Amino acid sequence: MSVLLILVPLAAVLIMNLPLHKLMRKLAFWVGLVLCMLQAVLIIRMPIGFWNTQPDLLYRLLLFRPFTDNLAFVMFLSIAIVGFVSLLVARYAIENDGSKLFNFTNLLLLAMAGMNGLVVSRDLFSLYVFLEVSAVASFILIAFNNGKDALEGTFKYLVLSAVATAMILSAIGLLMTVTGSVSFKTLSSVMGPNSGNPVVLLAVALLLGGLFIKSGLVPFHGWVPDAYSSAPSATSILLAGIVTKTTGVYALIRVVTKMNLLTHQVQVLVMAVAAVSIVVGALAALGQSDFKRMLAYSSISQVGYIILGLGIGSNLALAGAVFHLFNHAIFKSLLFVNAAAVEKQTGTRNMDILGGISDKMPVTGFTSVIAFLSTAGIPPLSGFWSKLIIIIAAWKAGFHVYALIAILASLLTLAYFLSMQRRVFFGKLASGFEDLKEANLWILVPACLLAAITIGLGLCIPWLLNSFLLPIRSIL
Amino acid sequence: MIPAYIKIMPIIFPVFAGLAVLMLEKKRNEIMCAWTCFIATAINLLLCASMFGKEWDLIVPWGGMFDFNFSLRLYHFSSFILLASAGFGFLISLYSFSFMNGKEKINQFYSYFLITIGLVNGAVLADNLIVMLFFWEGLLLTLFGMIVIGNKTAFRTAIKAFIISGIADLCMMVGIALTIHLAGTMSMSEIHLQISSKTAAAAFLFLMIGAIAKAGSMPFHSWIPDAAIDAPLPFMALIPAALEKLLGIYFLARISLDLFKIGTNSLLSTIMMTVGCITILLAVMMALIQKDYKRLLSFHAISQVGYMILGIGTAVPAGIVGGIFHMINHAMYKSCLFLTGGSVEKQTGTTDLTKLGGIASKMPITFVCFIVAAASICGVPPFNGFFSKELVYDGALERGRLFYFAAVLGSFFTAASFLKLGHAAFLGKSPDDTAHIKEAPLPMLIPMITIAALCIFFGVWNYFPLRVFIQPILGEHRLEGHDFAGMPTNVMLIVVTLVVIIGSIMNHIWGAEKSGSGLGAADHIHDAPLLHTIYDKAEQRMFDPYEIGMKFASWLAKVTMSIDKVIDYIYNVVVVEFTYAFTGFIRRLHSGSYALYVVWSLLGTLIVVLYIMRKI
Repeated sequence: MSVLLILVPLAAVLIMNLPLHKLMRKLAFWVGLVLCMLQAVLIIRMPIGFWNTQPDLLYRLLLFRPFTDNLAFVMFLSIAIVGFVSLLVARYAIENDGSKLFNFTNLLLLAMAGMNGLVVSRDLFSLYVFLEVSAVASFILIAFNNGKDALEGTFKYLVLSAVATAMILSAIGLLMTVTGSVSFKTLSSVMGPNSGNPVVLLAVALLLGGLFIKSGLVPFHGWVPDAYSSAPSATSILLAGIVTKTTGVYALIRVVTKMNLLTHQVQVLVMAVAAVSIVVGALAALGQSDFKRMLAYSSISQVGYIILGLGIGSNLALAGAVFHLFNHAIFKSLLFVNAAAVEKQTGTRNMDILGGISDKMPVTGFTSVIAFLSTAGIPPLSGFWSKLIIIIAAWKAGFHVYALIAILASLLTLAYFLSMQRRVFFGKLASGFEDLKEANLWILVPACLLAAITIGLGLCIPWLLNSFLLPIRSIL
Repeated sequence: MIPAYIKIMPIIFPVFAGLAVLMLEKKRNEIMCAWTCFIATAINLLLCASMFGKEWDLIVPWGGMFDFNFSLRLYHFSSFILLASAGFGFLISLYSFSFMNGKEKINQFYSYFLITIGLVNGAVLADNLIVMLFFWEGLLLTLFGMIVIGNKTAFRTAIKAFIISGIADLCMMVGIALTIHLAGTMSMSEIHLQISSKTAAAAFLFLMIGAIAKAGSMPFHSWIPDAAIDAPLPFMALIPAALEKLLGIYFLARISLDLFKIGTNSLLSTIMMTVGCITILLAVMMALIQKDYKRLLSFHAISQVGYMILGIGTAVPAGIVGGIFHMINHAMYKSCLFLTGGSVEKQTGTTDLTKLGGIASKMPITFVCFIVAAASICGVPPFNGFFSKELVYDGALERGRLFYFAAVLGSFFTAASFLKLGHAAFLGKSPDDTAHIKEAPLPMLIPMITIAALCIFFGVWNYFPLRVFIQPILGEHRLEGHDFAGMPTNVMLIVVTLVVIIGSIMNHIWGAEKSGSGLGAADHIHDAPLLHTIYDKAEQRMFDPYEIGMKFASWLAKVTMSIDKVIDYIYNVVVVEFTYAFTGFIRRLHSGSYALYVVWSLLGTLIVVLYIMRKI
C-alpha cells in the first residue's frame, strides 16, 4: 500500500487547490501536519507485508508497483519526521498571512509525494521522474521569499540540477539501447557480461556523475552552500534534512546496490569522492562565519560519511550508512531548526555578531549541543554509533586509511561545531541582545523532539542494530 | 526468632535519625538537634545492649546474577563492638549538648554523628565483604563532613583525611577483591584461608592496610593531629579516639583470627609487630614535644594503636587478648582525655599549653578525670591500661625481646608526656586572668566521670571485661586454657613496668627543674643533639607521608604539564595553522560563481567517465 504515500499527498494538494475552498486555505497547515504524522505512525505500526500489497485495480490504473523494504522504511520515517518539523518551523518563521503558509504546505506535500515515490521506485526511469518532482518543488521552496540571495541560490541549484538531469537521462537512454529495459531487475545483470562495453560504462559514469551532483559531493557540490543558506529556514531543514538525501544519497545507494555497480573501480571512485567530501566539507565549514553556511558545508562532509559506507559495501557498512543517513536527517534538521530560531530571534546568522545567547535561549542552546555532539560522534548519542559502525566496517574491510580519515575528520567536525557553539551560544552575551527571548513553542517542540530522538536512538543502539540495521542488506 | 526489621534497626535507625536532623532548620532548632541526637543514641544504646550476647544471621539475596547477599551476622565479637560504640555515641552526644552549644553548622554535626553510628553498626554487623566495604567507605563521607564543619582551615585537613583514608580504603578494596577471588565466597563467616601463597599474603596485607589505616596507625596517621586542631572536639573523642579504633582493630582481629590464620611463625605476624612498634615509638616521640593539649592527645591516639597492632600481631593468646582489651581500654581513656581537653577548651577558651596552667583547683572534677585517664594510658596499676598493656608485653616478650623493649620504651615516653601535659595544663603557675574559670557544666562532666569510673572498674575488676567480653572472642581452643583475668602472673613484667613509670617521673622532675616549668619538662629530649634536627624536620612535616605524596604529586603534575605543553603546541599551533591554511585555500576557491561550479562538476564528471571507461 505504499503507493498511498504518493497518492495521498498528491490528492491533498489537488483538493486544497480546488476553487471555492476558502476554508481549505486555513486548514492546509494542519492537513500537512496530520499527513506527516500519519506517515510516521503508519510506518512504525504497520508490518512490511502491509506495504508491499497492492489492490489489483490500483496497479491497472497506475501501471506502477511500488517496492518497500527496511531501507525504504527508514527513508519514509525520515521524510515524515523532517517534513513535520519543517512545517512547524514554517509556521514559526514564515509571516503568517495565510497564503504563504498555504503555498509552503502545498509545495512540501508535493516534494513529499516525489520523495516517497522515489523511495519505492523499481526502475530507473520512475526514479528519475520522482527525483524531478521533488527537485522542482524544492526549487520553488528555495526561492520562496523572492530575495536576491534566494534567487541566486535557486539558480545555481537549477543549473547544476539541469546538468545532472541531462547526465542521468543520457545514462538511462544509453542503458535502454543496450538492454531494452530500465527496471533494476534487468539492469542488475547488465554489469557482469557487459563490463567491457563502453556504452554501458559511459552510462554508468554519467549516472554516477549525475547522482554525485544531486548528492552534493565534492567537487560537485557548488550549489549546496548557496542553496542551503539562502533558502528560508523551513526550506533549509527540508532540503538539508531530506530532499538532497533522498534525491541524491538514497538514489545513489539504491542505484549502486540494485544494479550491482560496486565493482572494484566504482568502489575506489566512490570512496575517493567520499573521502574528499568529508575532508573538504569539514575544512570549509571551519572557515565559515554564517551559521547556515557552516551547516551546509557540514552536510557535505556528513554525506561523505554515508557515501563512504556505501563504497565499503559490506553489510555492516551499509547498515552504518543507512543509519547515518537517518541520524543525519535528525541532527542536521535539529541544527537548522536552531539556526532558524537564532535567525528569527536575533535577526542575524553572522556568528561574529552573535554570542552568549544560551542564557537567553536555553532550550535552543541545549538542543544545539546535543545535535552537534551527535554530529561529531560523541557517545552515547546516535551519531556516534553510526559513525562508529562505518569506521569499524572500513577497518574490517581493510580500508585503514579511510578509517583514519573518517576519525580525523570527526575531530574537525568537533572543532567547527565547538567554535560555532562558542561563538553563538556560550560565553558572554554579545551586546545588543539584552532583550532577547527564547523562541516560541512552534520551534521548541520540534527541537526537543529531535533531540529526544537523537538521545533515545543512541541509548537503544544494541536493540536497533540487531533487529533493524543489520538486516537491511539482506533485503536490498 | 527476631524479625528482620529489628535486625537492621541498628543501621537504619541512626541513619534515618541523622537525616531527620539534617532536615531541621538550623537556627531555631539547635536544642532540637541535640535532643534528637541524644534520644537517638540512647535508643541505639538500648537496642545494642538488648542485642548483646545474642546470635543471629540475616541474609537477604541481592543482585541475583552475582550471587550476592546482603547479609548481617551478630555474634559475640560484633555484639561487643556494637555495644561499645553505642555507649561512646551515647556519652559523647550527651557531652556535645554543652560543648557544641552556640557552634556553627550544629545540625550537620549531629546529623553526621548519627549517620556515623549507623554506618559503624553496619560495618560491624556486615557478614558480606562487599556490604562491609559499603559501610566502611560510607564512613569516609561523614569523616569528611565532620572535619569540614570545623574552623576555617578545616577544609584542607578534611581533604587530607579524605585522601589518606581513601588511599587506604582503596588498598582494602583490592584486598577484598583478592580475598573473594581466593575464597570463592563473599561471606566473611565462611572464609577461612591459609596463607599458603603470595596472593593470599598480598590479600592479607592489603586488608591489613585498610584495617590499621582506619585505626590510625602509621603511616596513615598524619591527618589526625591536624584534625585535632581543626575539627570539633567531640568528633575527635568519638571518631579517631573511639569508633575508628574499635572498627579498625575489630577488622584487624577478624582478618588475622578468622579470615586468615596468622601463626607465630608467619612473616606477616612479624610485619604487623614491626608496624606496631614503629607506630608506638614515632608517634609517642612526637607527642612528647607537642605544646597543644588536643594535638598531644592525638599523637597518643596514634601511638596507642601500635600496642593493639603489636598485641594482635604477636599471634599468641596473651597478645591477642591484650590487643583487643587495649582497644576497648584505649577507646575509654582516650575519649575521656579528649573530653577533658574539651572541658578545658570550653571553659578557658584555649588548648594552648603555654597559655594554660594552674586550673586544677578551678576544675577539680575535670582534673580528677584527667588523672584517672592519664594513669590508665600510662599503664599505672590498677587502672585498666595497666592490665591490657601487661598482656601485650607478655605476648611481645614471647615473640622477641626487641618488640618488648620497644613497647616498654613507648610506655616511658607516654608517661613522660602525660606528666608534662598534666603539669603544664592543670598545675604550675596560672596565668593572670583565670579568676572567671569555672568547672565544666554537668552534661560535660557526666560522660567524663562515667568513662573515668569505667576505667577504674575495668582495671580493678578486670575479670569482668576479660571473661565476659574479650576471652569468648577467641574461644576456648584458641585460649589454650589460659585465663588472663586478675593480676598478671609474670612478676618480672610488673617490676619493669613500675621501674619505667618511676623512671619517667624522675625524668619529669629533673626536666621540670632544669627548664623551670612543667611545659619544658621534655625539652632536654627535644633539644638532645641529633634528635633536635629530626624533630625540627618532623615539625615542618617533612616526614608526613601525605606531604611527601603531595610533593611527589605536584612534581609529577609539573612534569606532565611540560609534556602536555609540547603536545598542546602541536595541536594548538601547528595543526590549527595548517588547518586554517587549507580552509583559507578552500574558501578562496568558492568564489560564488555558478559557472565555476558547473565547470567543476563537468570536470569531475569527465574524470569519472574517463576513470570508469579505464582511460586513466
